[in-house]
Amino acid sequence: MTVAPTRHAWPVVAGDQYEGSRIPSPIPTVKQVPEDFGDREDVLRINFGPNHPSTHGVLRLIVDLDGEQVEGISAVIGYLHTGFEKTMEAKTWWKCVTYPERIDYVGYQNNELTFVLAVEKLLELEVPEKATWMRMLLCELNRIHSHLIFLGTSALELGAVSMFWYCFREREMILDLYEMVTGQRMHTRYFQIGGLAEDIPEGFYAECRTFVDWFPHALGDYLQLLDRNAIWLERTRGVGVLSASDAIALGQSGPNLRASGVDWDLRREQPYLAYDQVDFQVPVYENGDVYDRYRVRMDEMRESNRIVDQCLRRLERMRGRPWITDDRKVVLPPREELHTSMESLIHHFKIVTEGFRVPEGEVYVTIESPRGEQGCYVVSDGGPKPWRVHFRAPSFVALEATATCMHETLVADLIAIVGSLDAVMGDTDR
Amino acid sequence: MSYEDLPGFVSQQDAHGETTITIERERIRDACEHARDELGFQMLSDLVATDYLNWGAKGVSGYIGTASGRDINFPMTQGLQVQPATKPKRFSVSYHLLALRQPPVRVRLKVWLDDGDSLPSVVSVWPTADWHEREQFDLMGIRFDGHPNLERLIMPEDWEGHPLRKDYPQGGEPVRFSDAE
Amino acid sequence: MVKRLRDEGLSSERLLWPTKGPSHFEDELGQDEIERALGITTLEKAVRWAQTKSMWPDTFGLACCAIEMMAIVSSRYDIARFGMEAFRSSPRQADLLIVSGRVAHKMAAPIRQIYDQMLEPKWVIAMGACASSGGMFNNYTILQGVDRILPVDIYVPFCPPRPEALMEGILRLHEAHLAGVPPAYERRQVATS
Repeated sequence: MTVAPTRHAWPVVAGDQYEGSRIPSPIPTVKQVPEDFGDREDVLRINFGPNHPSTHGVLRLIVDLDGEQVEGISAVIGYLHTGFEKTMEAKTWWKCVTYPERIDYVGYQNNELTFVLAVEKLLELEVPEKATWMRMLLCELNRIHSHLIFLGTSALELGAVSMFWYCFREREMILDLYEMVTGQRMHTRYFQIGGLAEDIPEGFYAECRTFVDWFPHALGDYLQLLDRNAIWLERTRGVGVLSASDAIALGQSGPNLRASGVDWDLRREQPYLAYDQVDFQVPVYENGDVYDRYRVRMDEMRESNRIVDQCLRRLERMRGRPWITDDRKVVLPPREELHTSMESLIHHFKIVTEGFRVPEGEVYVTIESPRGEQGCYVVSDGGPKPWRVHFRAPSFVALEATATCMHETLVADLIAIVGSLDAVMGDTDR
Repeated sequence: MSYEDLPGFVSQQDAHGETTITIERERIRDACEHARDELGFQMLSDLVATDYLNWGAKGVSGYIGTASGRDINFPMTQGLQVQPATKPKRFSVSYHLLALRQPPVRVRLKVWLDDGDSLPSVVSVWPTADWHEREQFDLMGIRFDGHPNLERLIMPEDWEGHPLRKDYPQGGEPVRFSDAE
Repeated sequence: MVKRLRDEGLSSERLLWPTKGPSHFEDELGQDEIERALGITTLEKAVRWAQTKSMWPDTFGLACCAIEMMAIVSSRYDIARFGMEAFRSSPRQADLLIVSGRVAHKMAAPIRQIYDQMLEPKWVIAMGACASSGGMFNNYTILQGVDRILPVDIYVPFCPPRPEALMEGILRLHEAHLAGVPPAYERRQVATS
């Protein structure tokens, strides 16, 4: 694993089309069959429709093929548009917390985190330390979960079918942990505005420790299955190359950017939660092909495991501490207090009937989700409901790079490339 | 970092640790080029349009100070009500820029426009703006001049209307015992 | 040890027609012999048994429920026990359409096309709250239940349903089919062409 030793300002991309760029022109996201292609009748336009064997959800690609080679590609999205942003404008702030999770339904804790952090920033609310560390732990577990699904499904599509079962074996362990803490396997709704919904159950620490100790062995299994496999190497090396400047120009972030050689990780550069207090490394690879993206995610899983370990150690010393802020204007008071305190009763009533109000303002909060830079832009008018919520979706931006990655690619490579960009369609279409 | 050299600079506000620069509508592309080339904002993180129709019509939080304190003429309020600051025009488009430096620098360039106004497209500055602008055109109805492929992205091609506007209904079906929500 | 139908109070495999007595054939063989000699069933039941034991789903994952649908293939919840791990990519080879996830209006036409491409007999499971009724999304873009465009056999609630819940739904579908309940398109007389 290489870690880029120098951190420097990345090259400014000047000019419309700089030297060596593979971004198609005039439309950056559409690769068109060249004008001088020769016999146009050789080009076959096929529809890689919304329902297709590769398990990436409802992405539609319109592909122009010359034999097996991809000459033109354009993506059609929107088949999973759920109208999150519009729906959240009609719900009170507390009810809104259920929605962001379903956007990127594989890295769900990270989505919840963005929204909750954004609202807490507007409210200028201080969150207890235990909640911060637990949020970090669950988000890193979610990163492992997301990369496991990426690995399982990508390998499945490229033919390494047994990887799917291995990855989902570990995934079940993670989901057991989630179920123990939150009661739900996916879409846990555990992060509240102000902290966590409930205290951490006692049995969690031992179970999480078991997982943390086991996971490096599982990673060893995966590396043994794939990393030296000649077929895997041949199918992923040199395929779908995205250069660093192209990646920056296309707004890529997360593993896609790091695989292209740009040493950029928001957890380290712009630490949110308590990432400046844990020790982890950021994997960066140089080539920008499918193999490097796979390696970045594998290494990130290892690093996430280390972070979970550190969070767990810290949390074990925080037993009995509060897990949600006690600002009664925002958070429901504990039930016992309702019997004795009039103010608590009134606060409870106001929060449940009207909802708490967030002061007027706008914020844009970004975190490092497993897919890249996930951002949440919240505009509040001071009322009980959000005025505008917008999610900056890393998968949306990652799919913009499909056309640029196609360079003398075959149809089989197309599957590998789209899989390696790790786009979740819920995140893309929102 | 001084933002006053940005072409079309109107004003700067800082809040919650974020800097918002208001730019004149026609000069946003020049401002973005300046930001990318001179100030080093290599990445466009996000492009968001907001519709401020009926802003401030409903009650908000905060306190109006009157000498006597609480105004009992407004029952069911949390103390006194403030009106949020009025917005200059109906729509605003925010460009969230990121400079890949240590520590990272983020800025928001904000443009105000009315219904029917169009903005210069920044696809030539950051190619990633292609889909962001298409999405905002699709959902908010804001046109971007110079965009190579301004079509609907998220909604079906034959959809009428721009769903995220405030005068577009929530849709769905009526549910008993619940209002508006 | 041969299981005696008499012990269950049955005279033959005529579970759906309890009042009919034994046939001449059974009388000739004798009540004691028939179970040792033959397994008696009807053609429909045998066909239904075969269909149930290898009902292949279509790879139709839309959203979050798709991840839980993938989990039933994984080793903990192993749908291969029921002969269903062969998820067919082509709808022409699939029997079961598990609509897993929210259906946007843009996706409604492709779903209907896929359903039409499946061959009879075919079943539809609406997995999750969004496919059953629109779920938590009551807005301009989500179809309020996939049963607006498809005839649904089984609805599996929750958001997302646990893999065990989905398997319960699938097994109930198997039981219903074994018992003779026709697929939804026959019951609702929805045009299938």
